[in-house]
Amino acid sequence: MKPEEMKEKVVSSIKAIEKAPRSMQMYMEICAKCGTCASVCPIYFGKPEKRYNPAERSDLVRRIYKRYCTMSGRLLGSLAGAQDFDPGKMQEWVEMFYECTGCRRCASFCPFGIDNSVITRKGRAVADQLGLTPKTMLKVIQVSLATGNTDNASPAAFKAAIEFLEEEMEEEHGGTKIKIPVDVVGAEYFYVPPSGDVLVNPEATMGVAKVFHVLGMQDRWTMSSKCFDGANYGLFTGDDKSMKADNKAYVEEARRLGVKVMLMGECGHAHRIMKMMMEKGRWWGDLPFSIINCMEWTAQQIEAGRLQFDKSKNAQPVTYHDPCNFGRSCGIVDEPRKIMEASCADFREMYPNRAENWCCGGGGGLSAMDEIKEFRMEVSGKKKLAQIRETGATYVATACSNCKRQLTQLMEHHGLEIEVGGVHDMLSRAILVDGKAAERVSYD
Amino acid sequence: MEALKFLLGVFLPYLALLVFVGGMLYRLARWKKLASPPMTLYPAPPDEAGNLKNLLKETLFFKSLFHGDRWLWVLAWLFHVVLALIFVGHFRVFTNVDAIFMKMGMSEQAILAMSGGAGGAAGVIILVTAIVLLVRRLVVQRAREITSVADYFALALIGLIVFTGDIMRFSSEHFDLSDTRSYFAGLATFSNVAGDPLLDNGVFLLHMTLALLLFMYIPFSKILHLGGFFFTHQLIRKN
Ligand code: HEM
Ligand code: SF4
Ligand code: SF4
Repeated sequence: MKPEEMKEKVVSSIKAIEKAPRSMQMYMEICAKCGTCASVCPIYFGKPEKRYNPAERSDLVRRIYKRYCTMSGRLLGSLAGAQDFDPGKMQEWVEMFYECTGCRRCASFCPFGIDNSVITRKGRAVADQLGLTPKTMLKVIQVSLATGNTDNASPAAFKAAIEFLEEEMEEEHGGTKIKIPVDVVGAEYFYVPPSGDVLVNPEATMGVAKVFHVLGMQDRWTMSSKCFDGANYGLFTGDDKSMKADNKAYVEEARRLGVKVMLMGECGHAHRIMKMMMEKGRWWGDLPFSIINCMEWTAQQIEAGRLQFDKSKNAQPVTYHDPCNFGRSCGIVDEPRKIMEASCADFREMYPNRAENWCCGGGGGLSAMDEIKEFRMEVSGKKKLAQIRETGATYVATACSNCKRQLTQLMEHHGLEIEVGGVHDMLSRAILVDGKAAERVSYD
Repeated sequence: MEALKFLLGVFLPYLALLVFVGGMLYRLARWKKLASPPMTLYPAPPDEAGNLKNLLKETLFFKSLFHGDRWLWVLAWLFHVVLALIFVGHFRVFTNVDAIFMKMGMSEQAILAMSGGAGGAAGVIILVTAIVLLVRRLVVQRAREITSVADYFALALIGLIVFTGDIMRFSSEHFDLSDTRSYFAGLATFSNVAGDPLLDNGVFLLHMTLALLLFMYIPFSKILHLGGFFFTHQLIRKN
């Protein structure tokens, strides 16, 4: 692309901030440049350099906005913080906007509540329009739109995986058949996990199946062989169109199945898009179903005393990492703890936690980008590593496939013998089915 | 000299008022018009009452900043509280509000003592906090590396306004508030104040000019946060 053409596109995309949304425009205008965001940002903690300062990153967009959309910027130029776009810096632009995990921690502490992740997403959207989205991210989106899941798995492969899980559970529980219903029209609950919880770390899905089994509700839920991955990378690339297209398929599938409840799995951004963005923003109008998370559902059952556990199955020290999208963006923080405390003998908190938790360093899709692994291991994940070490836990549970990938790599990279897994994974190992917990087989 | 006095002493006050009010209304209208998709950040208050309480905490105590950066909080909170006090205190400069205090049972001595004590302290505290904020910008890396000319300008402007104000307050020459009161009464009634002897006081003229510049600067600068931060907190904390 010619530099002039690139500049024109970038500028017009940034001028669009004048039309929406409100948050963006206000963030362009009121940042006091106080630096508080930097002191709470996992990236800046990992490497306190100007390039990683949230306000500096946001200023990439802000300077151009001031140059073209404000009177002071047009008249006074750099005196008013305005600067023209330099096409020669485009590569750096893309890199910098993929050095923010979108964790929203800055928004919690900024005196004005400025959410730099919104500006990051805009910066990425600009890159996306120029076709400059990192290839790894682009590929995930293409696969997801083509197959309905980010793992490029066919319905047949999915069904095979489910059969395997059913066999595993039968073995674990001495011949008791625990079902995972698939494509059942007329079921009440439609379970939508991240595909990783079926194909990579399947214990979470087994845990959910066991909960339904113990409740005697094995015929009242279903999964879909077409829609078994709530992951939606359009959130990460700033591409609204693909985010909505991906989402629509799931809403339509829920309508087709005629379910009453969409039961989201252990995937923070999937739950956030479905509950906080799609439902709240009424993307597809009225919905004939409600949306809850499987952790909320299970926690309710535990509270009602319907599930029993053998905690000795999970004797090692265990901690929980709040995925940013669950903690800060969805307010789901107590439920995973209820499940952990019910199923683990030695549950430990890391501090700070819940809505103030530090990001794993792989948020915003970064976890999938192997080209920046060094950055994730040494910079963005630094604080999390220290937090986990401090707990002395040998198992870190977290409710997000992206966090799991990042944390697993983090432990390996730094030579720690700490297992990483899900919340329902721990439940699956300790829950009593017909009075007995699983005789666990190794999945390694 | 007469032309300058007219420009700064008569024309500028009206212009500044127009620019400030017009500018703020323009900003508010633009913000209001824009769509704002849900972007709740937790912990979010469950209802409107909780939301209001949270907003009040942010306004009065800078709650987020308190948890984010304690040192900056001390500085910024002091700076702003005193700024607000000084703003309120200036009503005594514009018009005779002493009558109201007297009705509330205060003696003239008490009013003067309050103005001299609290007002004097405020004049010192704000100068000190403004200077420390400036030093912080120069010294603390995470602030320095994102500070631009505009940020220094805002602080310098405030500092100069405070400094010229302090000169008037603490100089040995007695500053008689009845002079400013009659001058502002003249402005408010659109009488010709170009010949007002007050305008011969160079320090006063400079103090007022800088203050008016600040007012005009607000709608077009980051100090716009004084009107914006309600809405930005609202955006993320609304459930
Ligand atoms: C209650 C909400 C407010 C909060 C949380 C807030 C917060 C801040 C912060 C964090 C700074 C940056 C300090 C620095 O490092 O320089 C600042 C600066 C400033 N604020 Fe506020 N502010 C608020 C309201 C106001 C109001 C109502 C005014 C009225 C004029 C105001 C005027 C200023 C000025 C003049 C500065 C100095 C400019 C500068 O530092 O560049 N603020 N404010
Ligand atoms: S904390 Fe908020 S106001 Fe301060 S520099 Fe960061 S974004 Fe700007
Ligand atoms: S969203 Fe998270 S990673 Fe991005 S700037 Fe804010 S605190 Fe830093």
